[in-house]
Amino acid sequence: MSALLQVKNIKKSFGGLMALRDISLEIRPGETVGLIGPNGAGKTTLVNVLCGSLSADGGEIELEGVNITKMKPYQRCHLGLSRTYQIPRPFPELTALMSVVTSALCGKRRINRGLEDAAAEASYYLEFVGLFSKRNILARDLTFFELRMLELARALATTPKILFVDEVMAGLNPGEANRAVHLIARAKEEFGLTIFWIEHVMAVLMEAAERIFVINFGEKIAEGTPEEIAENQQVIEAYLGPGWKGKAHG
Amino acid sequence: MVDVEFRRDRIIIRYKGKKWDWILEPRYWRNTFIWTAVLIIVPIIFYFFYPALLNTLISANLYAAIAIPLALMTLGTGRINFGPNFFIGVGGYTAALLSVAYKWGPLLTFPLAILLTVVSALIFSPLVIIARGLYYVLLTLLLPLVFLEITFIYSDTFKGDVGLAGIKLLVDTGDVKLNFLLIAYISLFLMLLYLLIVNKTIKSRYGLIMAAINDDEEVAHGIGVNINLVKIISFVSAAAMIGVIGWFYAHYFGTFAGITYLPLTFLVKILLVIFIGGRAQVFGCVAGGYFIAFLEMILIGTLGDIQPFIFPLILFILLFALPEGLFGLYRKRRYREYLPTLHVRR
Repeated sequence: MSALLQVKNIKKSFGGLMALRDISLEIRPGETVGLIGPNGAGKTTLVNVLCGSLSADGGEIELEGVNITKMKPYQRCHLGLSRTYQIPRPFPELTALMSVVTSALCGKRRINRGLEDAAAEASYYLEFVGLFSKRNILARDLTFFELRMLELARALATTPKILFVDEVMAGLNPGEANRAVHLIARAKEEFGLTIFWIEHVMAVLMEAAERIFVINFGEKIAEGTPEEIAENQQVIEAYLGPGWKGKAHG
Repeated sequence: MVDVEFRRDRIIIRYKGKKWDWILEPRYWRNTFIWTAVLIIVPIIFYFFYPALLNTLISANLYAAIAIPLALMTLGTGRINFGPNFFIGVGGYTAALLSVAYKWGPLLTFPLAILLTVVSALIFSPLVIIARGLYYVLLTLLLPLVFLEITFIYSDTFKGDVGLAGIKLLVDTGDVKLNFLLIAYISLFLMLLYLLIVNKTIKSRYGLIMAAINDDEEVAHGIGVNINLVKIISFVSAAAMIGVIGWFYAHYFGTFAGITYLPLTFLVKILLVIFIGGRAQVFGCVAGGYFIAFLEMILIGTLGDIQPFIFPLILFILLFALPEGLFGLYRKRRYREYLPTLHVRR
């Protein structure tokens, strides 16, 4: 199967600090791919480079065979690339509904898309994430979990082909985290998404991901199925630590 | 028995189990309609009873007509432009120079005044992309001040602090009082037209996109908004609308001097209109415009020379004490709004 997203030798540095060193990876349609690594490994930098928030210093990014390396974030979004943020970044002065309407209006280009059509579609995404009853609440007045869900609805409303989920579990209690994981799995099924999931909670990726990439100091150190990654000595030393399985399973 | 209840945002009248709500919020058409009717009637009343105040009405309309597109610019670019008077200068000087040199009337100078304002706005439009925060404020603040310097350096052309005289008048009926009345109506029409255009824009999908940019432009970019295009269009279109006011000033007074419109004193008045109006509330701009024009008239009459110090003082007090503006006190915050309202980050 041909790759949906192909990343070849991506480099990114900030002054003298090399944040990403020749990262290459391939994501196939319909996959859930995980990305793990210690703090400061360059995970979010990689997502920022892939989504266009940061420009790559070298290398190539291809989405369905189209070179998107030089494209701006909005152009990448039109081609089907969407993301959520590690720390939720809502539009604080817009209501939940209007935040999602903006995504539905501006995401993937569709002809004859009016404000009302976008509002109808946005309502569906809000219902999907369980925020329909909060549709008229300003985003700044939502709880942390609701903001996470709003981010997800906003990302889904752009009708992406690939969704970058950046540490969705951070700051959530176990019950909320469980709901978030199930919702992402449902979104994948229902909308036929490919998920690129950056996460600190290894147990989640062990369950959800089909393949996992591990980066450390901006370099890819391992790639494989969750089982392979769990046994990889280099990953255990750099990130998981000895005896991580016991901790992960309580 | 008729029961009348006064609430902050509405008057409720109850009679024999029936209830009527009279909503006082300005965005409801009834109130817009009533206030428009009031604004139309007032010049006629002033014409017969207080003709000296017609000039104040014209100033009020023009202040509001500058503040309304400035509100649009603020929303669409996500930044507060501190040099809107630069575009008044461009529009005004274009009209003045053409009228003085070629004896052109207002109708002939109008398209060129707009054209030059648009061109100058396009030249400076990269500012909305490359500069943000304090840098944007400083750069936009410098524009009118540099332009003012230029008018002094090239005083052969711009006539320095004396200004260009002999510009063809907008209205010349031979009766001064009637001229003022007609100009009051033209300025009112201009202001209401701006209000209509900007209000419609804000309530459309473009207003929603602008509001998203105003809230977080990086996120807006990520969800598919071409932020640079939206910011440049907002900047240039609002600048053109402000430039028209410069053209209006030139043909209204028959003279045009940069020293009147380009210094900080004029800018402070415009900022006051915005802040009294509640930081980029389009309807608030009208209230702010009238408030400042009449306050200015009263202060000139009572305080004389120290009057220029009062406006910056009021501005400081408003910035700290009333961030939502005087109009904001009146306007109730409603969360159940279908469409977004203008909001500018502090």
